[in-house]
Amino acid sequence: MTRRTVLRLIPAAVAARLAGVARARPPVPGKRLVLVTIGGIRRQESFSAQGAVNIPHLMNDLLPQSVFYPYTANEGVTSHFNTISSVLTGSWEHVDDWGSQKPTRPTLFHYLQTQQHTRPNETWVVTSNKQLTANISPGVNVILSKQLLVEAVERIIQGQAQRRQLERDQILEEMRSVIETDYERIGWGVPSASSFQDPEVKQTFITAISNFIHGPDAPTSGDELTFLVGREVLDRLAPSMLMMNFSDVEVAHSGAYSLHVGGIRRSDLLCHRLWQFIQSRPDLKATTTLVIMNEFGRDPDGSSTNGFFNHRTNTECCRIAWSMVLGQAVRKPQVVERTIRQVDMAPTIGSWMGIECEKSEGRPLPELAS
Amino acid sequence: MDPGIYKELLSKVPRTFVPSLNEQFRRWDFLFPSAQRTLKAQLDWLAGLSGPEFKKLFAPLIEVESRMELPNWQPQTVGIGIEDAGMLARSPHYGAWRTEVAKVFTRIDEATAGLNPLAHIPRLLVCSLPSGLPIESELWPDLATRGQWLALAEPPLKWERSMVAVLARRRLPAGMEDVEGTWIVECSPRFFAGAGPGAVAISWERLAAVRRVFLSRLNAIQRDLKSADRTAGDLDKMDLAGLLGSGLGDRPRVREFIRKLLLSGNGSLVFNNSFTEWGAAEALLAAQPQMLVAGFGIRPKLKPFSSTVLFEDQHRNNPTQDEDDLAGSLIDGQMLSQYVYYSSQREACYQDHALTLFMCADLPRLLVLGPKEPVAGLEALLGPLTLRQKIASGDLTDFLLKWLET
Repeated sequence: MTRRTVLRLIPAAVAARLAGVARARPPVPGKRLVLVTIGGIRRQESFSAQGAVNIPHLMNDLLPQSVFYPYTANEGVTSHFNTISSVLTGSWEHVDDWGSQKPTRPTLFHYLQTQQHTRPNETWVVTSNKQLTANISPGVNVILSKQLLVEAVERIIQGQAQRRQLERDQILEEMRSVIETDYERIGWGVPSASSFQDPEVKQTFITAISNFIHGPDAPTSGDELTFLVGREVLDRLAPSMLMMNFSDVEVAHSGAYSLHVGGIRRSDLLCHRLWQFIQSRPDLKATTTLVIMNEFGRDPDGSSTNGFFNHRTNTECCRIAWSMVLGQAVRKPQVVERTIRQVDMAPTIGSWMGIECEKSEGRPLPELAS
Repeated sequence: MDPGIYKELLSKVPRTFVPSLNEQFRRWDFLFPSAQRTLKAQLDWLAGLSGPEFKKLFAPLIEVESRMELPNWQPQTVGIGIEDAGMLARSPHYGAWRTEVAKVFTRIDEATAGLNPLAHIPRLLVCSLPSGLPIESELWPDLATRGQWLALAEPPLKWERSMVAVLARRRLPAGMEDVEGTWIVECSPRFFAGAGPGAVAISWERLAAVRRVFLSRLNAIQRDLKSADRTAGDLDKMDLAGLLGSGLGDRPRVREFIRKLLLSGNGSLVFNNSFTEWGAAEALLAAQPQMLVAGFGIRPKLKPFSSTVLFEDQHRNNPTQDEDDLAGSLIDGQMLSQYVYYSSQREACYQDHALTLFMCADLPRLLVLGPKEPVAGLEALLGPLTLRQKIASGDLTDFLLKWLET
């Protein structure tokens, strides 16, 4: 018996005993948060005269319905794990950039779990970002959607799989195999094996990856997969809190500016599709607040850090991000020109959801409902 | 170079400087002459400061360091690994630390600027986009406001190679070594053939074998920083001479430059145009060549699936046919060639001392950016203001040759 077969059997056995419990649908919560973060996007490629062409949906479709904060300061470490941790905890986190440490303070997920005693399937993270490990908030379902795809592709390329070619059905089979046998190893985090083996949960992933693989376009985007998985989670499980992280824009680290801009355009499109999906479902529409934030900008052209490739300068170009809030927490659509901080979002949204972010250092944003 | 003569200095400089300085000493023989001259001038200047001057220079930085949690570096620690760099970068005081480091180097650079004997020689950068791009609008609009478009009698495709060949064989300024003369960093070998043996010519395509080795090692990294550090260490020691072949592998400084380039990210192992930009930027910083040619190219479209694994050869196991991404290559080439120029402007020896030509192989005009002061011969090349002429390639080459040999 190998580690793989053990992994395959144990969750199945537990799932069989708990199947009845696991399949029960949770009650529809009163308030629901969908938080989307996008990697590093500079103002010059987004909310600016020359950048607006890259974000037609955010600019023209979503902004007019939103409370929009164009100046949202990232005063922490401008790396992915630390920034997302800071947004979730409402305090500036300074932990390992590669996700080997947990945030030092509780996250919104944790507050929700402890103060409202939610069930395991009520809190989800679906992410394209490989740095976002299950450490982001223990007890949350963390799905590294892009990593699933990467893993399947690597196994085929490196000859570790029975399949030999990167063709659609072979990739799909390999992804199914990883989900069945190896999800833990690729970093997925689930609060209990039973919740993951819930047929409803499993079908969520299978549907999403099938749609991705057999979709109309050539599947080159990890964010597209993240979107499809996140949408299925919303559709089938309707959790109280779902965070999605898009990171196609991070191809900038490899210097392909055209692909970076393509990633911005895709994020724009996916955010709009996500909003349309929420609006199409009466139960979600009535309960959901959608928050969209870029994590930071990127370094300025001409900087010694190779400009848009990176995000580590102490400059406005890198530190000033934006935030957009849509849905139920919006009292009145408006653009708020005062500078806010990314850590202000957790206590504000927490307050709207009826939870108190006791250890946050952020200040509530009065433009949003509490 | 005997680092022992700077032992006392090393004991006084800020803690965060020591691993980097030790690294420079260890790699002294692989530093290009300009880097050796610069480092020696900086260290000599620092060693000559009085106690109060030294303290005044470094006190703010040392104060920031005292508030930071730093790795357990010893006086003999060489280099900063990925794990240590991450620890520095996530410090709450990282921004303040960077600011103070920048201030210190501004002061050091100001003090030692006059000590470089080759600081004021005329220099030339050529950024060339390839043939076949779908050009529909004006190229480099941001830079055009700082420069001047010149009309050409024929597009560069017909003459750019021979121009580079002539310029590469010029007489070098006194005191300049061959390795500081001409550098060519390019996607495909467009320019290197005529450049002669003295030029340093590095092309993405010619480095395919060594890139493949590096990629396969990087693909095997486990998902933790220690594994990444270990692999970087192994690749740092790997014998590259055979893989690089003659002209590159047998020139230790160039060989080590390539190793460092391929290990330093920024897409140098992933995309041909990123390799060219980052290679050119690193060459401007490390070798400060009098003439540098950055030859951009056309990258293929990303393939389904394998494109999600960036550290991968897109050809392996992927049945999708290769297809050029012409529109994407044009966007990338424009942006990245600008970045080569920006990199040059961070080095004092190129500011106000370099002419930069931006050209596209199919376009019968080029954009020239130059020093603030009028460039001798440029007006004559252009012709009378009221009757600007289309410039013949021979006249352009003559003008550039005179510029470089002034």
